[in-house]
Amino acid sequence: MLKKNLTLIGLLMVTVLLIAVPASAQKVRGVTDTEILIGQWGPQTGPAAPWGAVARGTDLLVKIINEEGGINGRKFKYLLRDDSYQPAKTKAIAKEFVERIGVFAVVGGVGVATGMTARDYLMENKVPWYGPVTGVYEWITPIQKYLFALYPLYDDEAYNLTEYLHEKLGFKKIAMFYQNDDYGKQGVQGVERYLMRKKLSPVAKISAEVTDRDLSTHALMLKNSGADAVIMWTMPTHAALILAETAKIGFKPQWATSSTLSDSVLLMQITKGLWAGMINSFFGELPDSNHPLMVKYREAHKRLAPQERWGVFYYAGIIFSEPFFEGVRRAGRNLTPETWVKAMETIKDFKGIGPPVTYAGLKDRQGGKHVFYGKVRPDGTIEKLTDWIRITK
Amino acid sequence: MFGQLIVSGLAVGACYALLALAMVIIYKSSEVLNFAQGEMAMISTFVTFSLLETYHVPFEWAVVLTFLFAILLGMFFELVFLRQAKDPTVIGLIIITLGFEMILMGFAGWKWGPDQKSFPFPVSNIEAYNFHGLFISKINFWTILISLVLMFILFLFFRYTKLGIAMRATQQNQLAARVMGIRTKWILSFTWAISSMVGLVAGILIAALGVLDPPMMMDPLLKGFASGVLGGMTSLPGTAVGGAMLGIIENLFGGYVSLAFKSVVAFAIIILMLCIRPSGLLAKHYVKKV
Repeated sequence: MLKKNLTLIGLLMVTVLLIAVPASAQKVRGVTDTEILIGQWGPQTGPAAPWGAVARGTDLLVKIINEEGGINGRKFKYLLRDDSYQPAKTKAIAKEFVERIGVFAVVGGVGVATGMTARDYLMENKVPWYGPVTGVYEWITPIQKYLFALYPLYDDEAYNLTEYLHEKLGFKKIAMFYQNDDYGKQGVQGVERYLMRKKLSPVAKISAEVTDRDLSTHALMLKNSGADAVIMWTMPTHAALILAETAKIGFKPQWATSSTLSDSVLLMQITKGLWAGMINSFFGELPDSNHPLMVKYREAHKRLAPQERWGVFYYAGIIFSEPFFEGVRRAGRNLTPETWVKAMETIKDFKGIGPPVTYAGLKDRQGGKHVFYGKVRPDGTIEKLTDWIRITK
Repeated sequence: MFGQLIVSGLAVGACYALLALAMVIIYKSSEVLNFAQGEMAMISTFVTFSLLETYHVPFEWAVVLTFLFAILLGMFFELVFLRQAKDPTVIGLIIITLGFEMILMGFAGWKWGPDQKSFPFPVSNIEAYNFHGLFISKINFWTILISLVLMFILFLFFRYTKLGIAMRATQQNQLAARVMGIRTKWILSFTWAISSMVGLVAGILIAALGVLDPPMMMDPLLKGFASGVLGGMTSLPGTAVGGAMLGIIENLFGGYVSLAFKSVVAFAIIILMLCIRPSGLLAKHYVKKV
């Protein structure tokens, strides 16, 4: 009897194994015969909410690709979650994406502190992550197999912007106004790195906390520094507040800022025109560009997402996802994290509406290395000051 | 620099004081700390914004109409949420205000979107009066003036009007007030309405000083609370003094000690005051016999 039972159990186990093994070998998380699941977090509420438009911009590109029939016979299902720029929420969203929903990849994601809570978790679970929406070293140091960065590095961007102000425009006394976190600090790092090379230092380094709403003291300290140019590395709210406060006390330096504040339409509006004259770096085509892809995206925007404002923050969501889809295309029908990584590593001088993108195997995961500079005109349009400049050597 | 720090501190302190006043009016009547105060003000300010931008209503009329909205919002919250609470404890009511805060925040994000807005205030937030090198921006000047006028009106209201006296009576002893014929339930609703109106003024001024967006009141509300603790949570003049002092202390600390720690001064003050003088600077400390 026992022998008969054991034989039955053995047969049952073999059957289960025979059924289970081929299935698990074929199944890739978030990929079916007809669909690929991808996710993104972004602040839809809270102080950084204007940057949340990035995640909605990605949705537009997903819709365009799906309208065109998808990629390699599969359409995309896109999941957007609001993390309110709060790291604890981001971690929970990453876990939801992996454990509950089972996405193939994460695309974009605004914030350094927020993304850092999810980075190791995603990597341990071999979840491809393309284009965190911040330009910090944390995404490329150490190199992570499944993580590809796009955003030009803040450190290099700030270094080159300072160089531009100092060497091309002749400003000698440069001050820094920044957000007191990794985002702002890597901007400070670039400014100081350049000035140190010239045996100079910033005349003032003034920081603001994310929740600060009264920047009158900050403005006074900038004024007292005697700076003739101020570089700001903050979020839009603080940019508007500091311009108003400095204007109130009659302090009018040359302002310059990073590509994170390149949505001049929004900033002209919330600063009541004080944004005019700002020297901005840009990592993507200008909103009214005649680039064929921009024309195509603008038309799709009118049809598919007319409720959204066509601004830099919004279409940045396209910039941060175009190379991801290119990788999916190159990976072919047999899409797995491994084939996608291999495909991404073949990308060289890819040009969508953002900077030229190149990856070099496991040696270089920093895709975007170029920006260009522009000056905001009184009507909010941009006067292009330079062509694309390579900032990461 | 010293004079400039004082002036800027007074302007921002005036906003803190208004928010503190709004909180104290409710705290005195029910011992409830209204954590939805900031978001109630934010929603009302957004309504003003919509009237101005979408319906092109003249500023004065937009403010008048929003005052009506603020009254309704305050009464609605009291009637629909707080009054319906079963066997309410103070902590339970505070939790309800927290819930209402979340609802309002979510609603504002959905209705007006996450982008910041520039609030169209009739006074420039850039132009300034220059008194021998001391810049007083027009918006700061008007913020201080409006706050002082509003505080004076509130003082007259509570001191000399029938409704104000009835509110004070209800605040001091609800049972005795009821026995004297005061409809205390209505008085409580009015308390919320008046608090909501005062919050609206703070909201408009804060939006005019900076930008209008759903989280704009988070920081000012905490500072308003700190002002209340500093001046005394049961003293209306105390909160006014507390707000002004907090604005000035914050600015002086940021200017001369540490800018990085400027924003935590308010919380250090809360702790300090609760340790050495829990009733605040101007409120009387009552000891209950048991």
